[in-house]
Amino acid sequence: MADFSLNVNGRTVQVAAEPDAPLLWVLREQLQLTGTKFGCGIAACGACTVNVDGIAVRSCSIPVGAAGHRAITTVEGLSSDRTHPLQQAWIAEQVPQCGYCQSGMLMSANALLQAIPAPTDADIDAAMTNLCRCGTYTRVRKAIHLAARLMAGARQ
Amino acid sequence: MQTFGYVSGALTLAASWPGAAAVLKESDAALTDQATALTAWVRITPANEVTLLLSQAEIGQGIATTLPAILADELGADWSTINLLAAPFAPDYRNPRINFMFTGNSESIQSFHDLMRRVGAAAREMLVTAAARRWQVPASECTTENSVIVHRKSGRQLTFGAVARQAAQLQVPRQPKLKANSELRLAGRSLDRIDVPAKVDGSAVFGIDFALPGMLNAAVRTAPAIGGDLRSMNEAAAMSTPGVVKVVRIPNGAAVVADTYWNARRGLARLDPQFDAGPHSAVSSDSLAAEYLQRLSSGPFVTPIQAGNLDAALARATRVVTLDYANPFLAHATLEPMNCVADVTAAQCRIFAPTQGQELATYALSAALGLRPEQIDVRRSPYIGGGFGRRLVPDFVVQAALISRAVGRPVKTIWDREEDMRRDLYRPATMVRLRAGLDSSGHPVAMHARVVSPTIILPVAPNYAPMMERQGFDPNAMEGMMEWLYDIADRRVEFHLLKLPIPTSVLRGTGYGPNLFALESFIDELAALAGSDPYQYRRALLRGNPRALAVLDRAAALADWSGQSAKGVGRGIAIAHAYGTYIAQVVEAQVTNDIVKLTRVVSVVDCGRVLDPRIARQGIEGGVVFGIAGCKAAVTFAEGRVREENFHRYRLPDLAQTPELVTEFIEGGGPLGGIGEVSPVTVTPALANALYAASGRRLRSLPIGGHGLAFN
Repeated sequence: MADFSLNVNGRTVQVAAEPDAPLLWVLREQLQLTGTKFGCGIAACGACTVNVDGIAVRSCSIPVGAAGHRAITTVEGLSSDRTHPLQQAWIAEQVPQCGYCQSGMLMSANALLQAIPAPTDADIDAAMTNLCRCGTYTRVRKAIHLAARLMAGARQ
Repeated sequence: MQTFGYVSGALTLAASWPGAAAVLKESDAALTDQATALTAWVRITPANEVTLLLSQAEIGQGIATTLPAILADELGADWSTINLLAAPFAPDYRNPRINFMFTGNSESIQSFHDLMRRVGAAAREMLVTAAARRWQVPASECTTENSVIVHRKSGRQLTFGAVARQAAQLQVPRQPKLKANSELRLAGRSLDRIDVPAKVDGSAVFGIDFALPGMLNAAVRTAPAIGGDLRSMNEAAAMSTPGVVKVVRIPNGAAVVADTYWNARRGLARLDPQFDAGPHSAVSSDSLAAEYLQRLSSGPFVTPIQAGNLDAALARATRVVTLDYANPFLAHATLEPMNCVADVTAAQCRIFAPTQGQELATYALSAALGLRPEQIDVRRSPYIGGGFGRRLVPDFVVQAALISRAVGRPVKTIWDREEDMRRDLYRPATMVRLRAGLDSSGHPVAMHARVVSPTIILPVAPNYAPMMERQGFDPNAMEGMMEWLYDIADRRVEFHLLKLPIPTSVLRGTGYGPNLFALESFIDELAALAGSDPYQYRRALLRGNPRALAVLDRAAALADWSGQSAKGVGRGIAIAHAYGTYIAQVVEAQVTNDIVKLTRVVSVVDCGRVLDPRIARQGIEGGVVFGIAGCKAAVTFAEGRVREENFHRYRLPDLAQTPELVTEFIEGGGPLGGIGEVSPVTVTPALANALYAASGRRLRSLPIGGHGLAFN
């Protein structure tokens, strides 16, 4: 057991954990950030996706000890009031169904838009490898395009 | 902010709205103490907060929006401020068709629509009567709107909350007058789903997120082999793991209970449980295929359908064609793995679970724990990460209860993906043999169908066991095979109920999916033999069925069926009448060097009347992706155990593999049909037919990987 200082959603938090504990379970069980979901444990489904320094990372498969002081963002960190352009776009397109994959979808999309502000369909295909059993994929694509437009509008 | 907790015997489901933001708090005294119940379904506080009970599990299908909207519409409640509670198990919340509480079979709307209308109208009449008495005016002069009762002549108004207490004293009207459809404000509109806001900010509480005070967490490992059991374990090593509280022996395995789930997982790794090979180590996909084929040839069969004179008609036929089709085992693979919070004492069992079957779970717990049903309280988590029928089966609930009882504390048990895949009750593999006698034009005049399938219905309806033993067939496994759209006078349908050690149960689309894959592939093959266009061939066979023709024609038109297609691109068509709904589909696929790219799927659906166009469309389009998954992934067996133990081997379609989806509804009238399970049914044959059109290769079994093909 060791003490870690993590930077989560813009705040510095202290946790006590085994260094090899997956970031996912530290977020869920010690920080009560339960928006990040457990799906497969092998980085195959993407339900646990968070952003680490702006990069989409599958938190089930990185140990908390590797997080260091890098900036971790979870779905709860997108905004405090559902005003993030991705959340607005997700609501406008009514993307979620069961919703279990959606936190991971949003965080993959967030990393995508930070890297590529106006992604093409091919960019979306390549970046959005999260699994959705309800089949919300076509709305995910539309919502990412909409969020990109919202963000571009906000920059002008 | 989404809240979740006990509120007057129910769990809060969706309390928050963009803009409206009516928030239900866990300790909302106004609701718990002062809410007036008008029927089992409606609660109203003096402050005019209207809360509706939701009997059906929200598993992604949107029922938490569509079903209460039906009630609210009749009631005249303000939809933008409505609160919802997930109903506990009680007789009031049973599906009225079969008098049992469950969510499944695509029938929530079909079975509850009229009840919701009646309940809403009854509560409205009670409120109106109470207000009319206070005003001393005839009730017939009063109406409701936005949770307010209005006396039109005088313009006087009273909120629901102002008269709810008096209204509750009145007799519940048995035959309340329903509104005319033209008076309905919500029906037929695309409403914003009530669950969306909480699903974009991480606040939605799924079963896996629920916690009780003092709760422990359990990780379990049962034998990888079906029917296997624990041989040895290192209990001392597990117990020396930080946070671990107890090791519990459970049927077929062991659970490690700890303060956190991750510590339980660490403990489980150190427990290092070893398992025997189980009693079915000779079972493999090859051995199963041989067994199916043998039964398909030699039976014995029961004959649920015998119409006309098949043998005479076959003898008269110009040509007889016999072909076999095989469907694979499939896994539910809900993205939220099985989990359950249980709090069991000697006298009481409290459950909080992502379940589709609160009533069946109650009875299973009663049997497993030796408690009376009234000592058991099965609550449903407000949100559930996919269902597809898996969560009708109470095995994971019972397991969690046994672990809690052994520890004497509330425990949340979470299966990892491997456990979830190994302990699934799979959509069974089936084999279908179809034999048709053709006339000189190549049209079938006689058909003979044989189905070999293990049970589908038994795990979700154990009370069917005596009927199945007596009749020798499973009604669910025969869905789509008993009633054909194609009118063929001379026909025989035979069934062999296969007894397998592999647990099998319902999965979105059973048994229509496997049967329609065979039937609609077969019709396509007959069309090819006749040298006919598969669409026109079906048209000719469906002449007497205008609703079927309407969806078929519209799908063909939307898909530009007769238009030129590029090299390597093919279109496949299929039609079904399933769950009370007509659907026709055209799949467009491109095959290049054995790589399949689906370019477009057109679905045209007639479910009678569409209550919420956007949610219905989501159900159909999500179902298309689910159907594609059934062409891509399959469960196979070796040495008595499942091979696909996680998503790296059970490969589901992703965004890049999802084609353009075009969906249209036709309102053909008549009884309401289902939505949730309809579209996967036609995807498999339409896709196989498209692959034939694109490549000349005929797939009589799935997944496509078995034929050297792969999706892009």
